[in-house]
Amino acid sequence: MIAPLVKKEILSNLLSYKFIVVFLMTILLTALSMGIMYRDFDARYADYMLIRPGAGDLIALTPPNPFSVLARGLDESIGRSYEINIHDIVVRSGQKSNNLIFRFFPTPDLLYTVQVVLSLAALLFGFDQVCREREQGTLKLLLSHSVSRGELLLSKWVGNFLTLVLPFLTVFLLALLLLQLDPRFSLSWEGWLRLGLMLFLFLLYVALFLSLGILVSTLAKRAATSLVILLFLWAALVFLLPNLTTLAARQMVEVPSVRGLSEKRQQIWTREILLGIREFDPKAGQQGVASSWRRHFDVVNHEQDAMEEEYRHRFGRLVSVAKSLNRLSPVASFVYGVNAVAGTGIEEESRYKEEVLRYKNRVYKGLMDKSMLGKEASFSAFHYRYRSLGETFREGLWFDLFWLALFTFLFVVASAVAFLRYDVR
Amino acid sequence: MISQEIVLEAKDLSKRYEDGQLALDHIHLTLRRGQIYSLLGANGAGKTTTINLFLDFLKPTTGQAFVCGIDVEKEPLEAKKHLAFVSENVMLYGNFTARQNLEFFAKLGGRSLTKEEVYSLLRRVSLQEKAFEQRVKSFSKGMRQKVGLAIAIAKDSDVILLDEPTSGLDPKAAEEFQVILKELRAEGKGILMSTHDIFRAQEVADKVGIMKEGRLVLERSREELYEEDLVKIYLDYMGSPCSMGERGGRA
Repeated sequence: MIAPLVKKEILSNLLSYKFIVVFLMTILLTALSMGIMYRDFDARYADYMLIRPGAGDLIALTPPNPFSVLARGLDESIGRSYEINIHDIVVRSGQKSNNLIFRFFPTPDLLYTVQVVLSLAALLFGFDQVCREREQGTLKLLLSHSVSRGELLLSKWVGNFLTLVLPFLTVFLLALLLLQLDPRFSLSWEGWLRLGLMLFLFLLYVALFLSLGILVSTLAKRAATSLVILLFLWAALVFLLPNLTTLAARQMVEVPSVRGLSEKRQQIWTREILLGIREFDPKAGQQGVASSWRRHFDVVNHEQDAMEEEYRHRFGRLVSVAKSLNRLSPVASFVYGVNAVAGTGIEEESRYKEEVLRYKNRVYKGLMDKSMLGKEASFSAFHYRYRSLGETFREGLWFDLFWLALFTFLFVVASAVAFLRYDVR
Repeated sequence: MISQEIVLEAKDLSKRYEDGQLALDHIHLTLRRGQIYSLLGANGAGKTTTINLFLDFLKPTTGQAFVCGIDVEKEPLEAKKHLAFVSENVMLYGNFTARQNLEFFAKLGGRSLTKEEVYSLLRRVSLQEKAFEQRVKSFSKGMRQKVGLAIAIAKDSDVILLDEPTSGLDPKAAEEFQVILKELRAEGKGILMSTHDIFRAQEVADKVGIMKEGRLVLERSREELYEEDLVKIYLDYMGSPCSMGERGGRA
């Protein structure tokens, strides 16, 4: 019985103006987003090729992540170049986007398009599914047939979901095929798995908002009321809650400023240099002088590492609190999930910085050994390995997937319960 | 020869809403195959509530509603297989044509119709040929009622429930509607029709029931009505306080 109902939903949507608007908007924005982000990636890649370290350069740098075309997240930050020297790590430059407009507005990547535009489109499809049928009188005629309310609701869900995602899937897959022409985008099997997981997250997110739309349409008596409620909920879930909870987390966890940290590092360096000069004894011989300086450099290195550790600990706590609060909105779970799969999330950035710190310590030890023991120092180039999908999954992705699925499930169940009790008269 | 089996039955059926209002008060009625039963009564008398209970749109407070012997409350989907419904103001999918609407609802009723069968049904209800492939959002009420009746006919069910189907129709359309009802009766359908139109009820019905304040206060067969003036009885009841059995009423 469900097949004719699903067919009716699809046909009904195809004949409506809202489908034409959503269809054109989805095709246009998805294509535009992927086009713009590809060009942005291309520019950042060109930057990387220009500044990438040569043999012997003590620079930590990694090429832009191809998945940043879909979800840029913190890729620009991960792609910064860090110069390693004996007393510090200096941030030299990032693979900054040439497009200055990004500084004013959120990056128009596919993640953002889905997060904002497709969620709104899903609500536009869902907001009147039940109450409009009741208002226009077709619900009575439908339910006078041997159709259960569960079947009717399921057919609405399936029919609208298919109408919503098919244009998106078409243009998304087409764009992926085009990207495959560029060798920088050739993917390993794990890369394809990541892509599949991202697509699954996109579809789950659309399903979440469609379910919310249908739920409100079963609770509201009038389509206009349903639309107003859903627009408010959309703004709250997509923008207000994530922003407000991030601000709240910043009030709850104190983290020293980056500038303050930098000043402190400089102070430690200056202090130890001055102490080293004061203790300088020309009679101590070359070995003695070197040993004295090494002691001071060790202090600098040790204190700076301790400071960095403390900062990272506090920052990690802030991130943890903020993420927990953000997840009051399932939209946050979606954003974190997609960025984690793309390798552009906050955990990836944190891991990248840890790698840079380790690299710095290896370089420091090599330089010290050279000056103290006269060993020939050879430094391997910095290489960063992104987290594997398994690691990503264990380090939080499973929760975001579960959270999104749970919200969707709850919305579906709630709309089924509400519709079973719905007064069709 | 049409069998006389009961296709629709209300046994001690009552409905009290959550706000305490008693919409239907212990009614009993039966409808046999090949009969038209007209429910008369003022607005709020309980006619539509009775129909809604047979359609499982409402749950009864007491009693049972049966369609072809199937308890509607226990097996609503099974009962609805034997029912078709035409409301006072048939609403269809505006973006679909008359043909598409009919095809869709026929499929819901378990029938796959060919284009010719669809056209033939639409001709039977006297819809103009040029409207077959027109979107129904431009249809008048009369045209929508015709498509609604075609949907009910397409389902080929044992019982047809009509909730004031001719209200607001022009006389010609109402007359066409009545002709089709008689044809359906001749085919052995049981038809329960709520209406305000006393004259048409008297003309077409095999049984007439008058409802007042949720009670079926009077029931008359066609034969009995030959000897009585339905209009007078109806107006008498509408003007009197509700009391079953008064003035010779048997319900």
